[in-house]
Amino acid sequence: MLPQRSRLSVLIFLIPPLALYGIAVLLPIFQSLFLSFFDWDGISPMTFVGAENYITMLTGDTVFWKAFGNTLGYVAICLVLQLGGALIVASLLTLLRRGREVVKTLYLLPAVISTVAIAFLFQRVYSLDPVGLINQVLAFIGLGNVQHAWLSDVSTVLAAVSIPEGWRFTGLYMLIIYAALLAVPAELEEAAKIDGASWWQTFWRIRFPYIRPVWITTTVLATTNALRGFDIPYLLTNGGPGQSSELLTTYMYKTAFTSTNYGYASAISVFVVIECLVAVGIIFLILRRKADA
Amino acid sequence: MSTLSLHRATSASATERPQPTSRRPKRNLQSRITGIIVAAIVIVQVYPLAWLFITSVRTEQDFAGGNPFAFPTQITFDNYARAFANGNLGLNILNSLIVTVGAIVVIVFLGMMGAYALQVLGFRFSKFVRGLFLIGIIVPVQVALVPLFVDYAQAGLLNTYQSIIIPLAGFALPTSVYLFSSFYEYIPSEIYEAASLDGAGPYRIFGQITLPLSVNTMVTVAMVNSIFIWNDFIFANTFVLTDGLKTIPLGLQNYIGAMGKVDWTATFAAVCVSITPLLLVFLILNRAMTYSLASGATKG
Repeated sequence: MLPQRSRLSVLIFLIPPLALYGIAVLLPIFQSLFLSFFDWDGISPMTFVGAENYITMLTGDTVFWKAFGNTLGYVAICLVLQLGGALIVASLLTLLRRGREVVKTLYLLPAVISTVAIAFLFQRVYSLDPVGLINQVLAFIGLGNVQHAWLSDVSTVLAAVSIPEGWRFTGLYMLIIYAALLAVPAELEEAAKIDGASWWQTFWRIRFPYIRPVWITTTVLATTNALRGFDIPYLLTNGGPGQSSELLTTYMYKTAFTSTNYGYASAISVFVVIECLVAVGIIFLILRRKADA
Repeated sequence: MSTLSLHRATSASATERPQPTSRRPKRNLQSRITGIIVAAIVIVQVYPLAWLFITSVRTEQDFAGGNPFAFPTQITFDNYARAFANGNLGLNILNSLIVTVGAIVVIVFLGMMGAYALQVLGFRFSKFVRGLFLIGIIVPVQVALVPLFVDYAQAGLLNTYQSIIIPLAGFALPTSVYLFSSFYEYIPSEIYEAASLDGAGPYRIFGQITLPLSVNTMVTVAMVNSIFIWNDFIFANTFVLTDGLKTIPLGLQNYIGAMGKVDWTATFAAVCVSITPLLLVFLILNRAMTYSLASGATKG
């Protein structure tokens, strides 16, 4: 703390960032909460409806629950790809003698590309007519009979919109986990090996506990990012066919800007915010408890 | 959240040289196999991108031929010509530059000011303010869309550069504040005490000590945010209503809609044009960029 500082100087430095943050982030959260108790299309006067939006949403809206289920599936696939994939590649990378920097750079490349570009790329990767990359590869290796319009089949579309999102950021999480793995003292692992521990035991008993703090952060990051996933499903399928790839975020967006039902959309937003807070709470609870055990 | 201390551990080790592996013969084979597995994974990871670029120089007949691994029989740049003729790429790039530079300047300077107030000046409710900033990291950006749309409509801000810059900067601000304040922790307080004894007030200390020392962190904050802002889709898609203000991602979307689904090779050329600038910056600033992304992310 500076010895000579006036209250005024604190305010001069603090107010501009806080004002922007208030306008862009804090105020909208409260406005959403406020709007969620109204029925409003943006033009006609607002009508106060109490908790009706929430009641309809939680008890009578099958699309909402479908979207909620899809969101969970989407998050699960993203987490497996991003965290599982990242952990495997990072572990392999520590065994590599040369070319680590190149691998890191190449692996991170997809993170630099805009979601619009990714959506168009994957639209073409998945397509059947004309035959896209995956179907071409399948035909090439003699599996032509499983060729598929991956984005129009209700049973594959959710996975198909989740994979690009997982693919996009796995490199980022890999970097973080890799850096954490490098910090694990080599002597510790050597000692365990001398004591006859298997690779698996060394990993679970020494490496993983060592990187647990970073793992918690990464899990929180990946989960909150997946929960706010929007661009790729919106651009690739717009939630379709039917509602089979509808996420809460895309449903909220359509409710707000296609059906112009601001009140109901705000209720969904509030739910998404709560969902994120709950998810972060759960992650801390699970991973912290393991740390105590 | 205890992310602050984690971050330091992570970023410190990011620059460390990897420990040499022991050099037994058994290890050699093992590392060779690992090398092959890693190479295979990297190929799968990067192939879609390579495919994108290869397709953009294929002729349409060649593309319809269907072998995804074949090299193009003949390289053509007609696709690019068609892509440029149909789009408004120059304007889109200009708009993206304006939004990105505008938002970055706001994020860097306000982040620095906030961190200075929190970390260097210090005040009674600083813990509370830090907590407030944490909300912006957890909460999904979509929550701001409807309220901001309504507010902008009232304030006449819809369809302006500011309408995109405000939420982009607002949601990036917490990470920026955290990054700067964790750096300011390392500036020894003796420096400030000495400056104070020499009669420097908080403004001069900020301008002559803190700001010049922050250059590295400024670069980190700018780089990590430039990627996300340059690529932003959701705010631009919601608040931009006319073609004149469209940024690169929106322009790209337009483009392809106009060409329909038939002209895939030209579409891919357009996608390539739109991702190349950032890709080049990324490859040139490779090390700094990788470091920034990793530290910026752990921060959030």
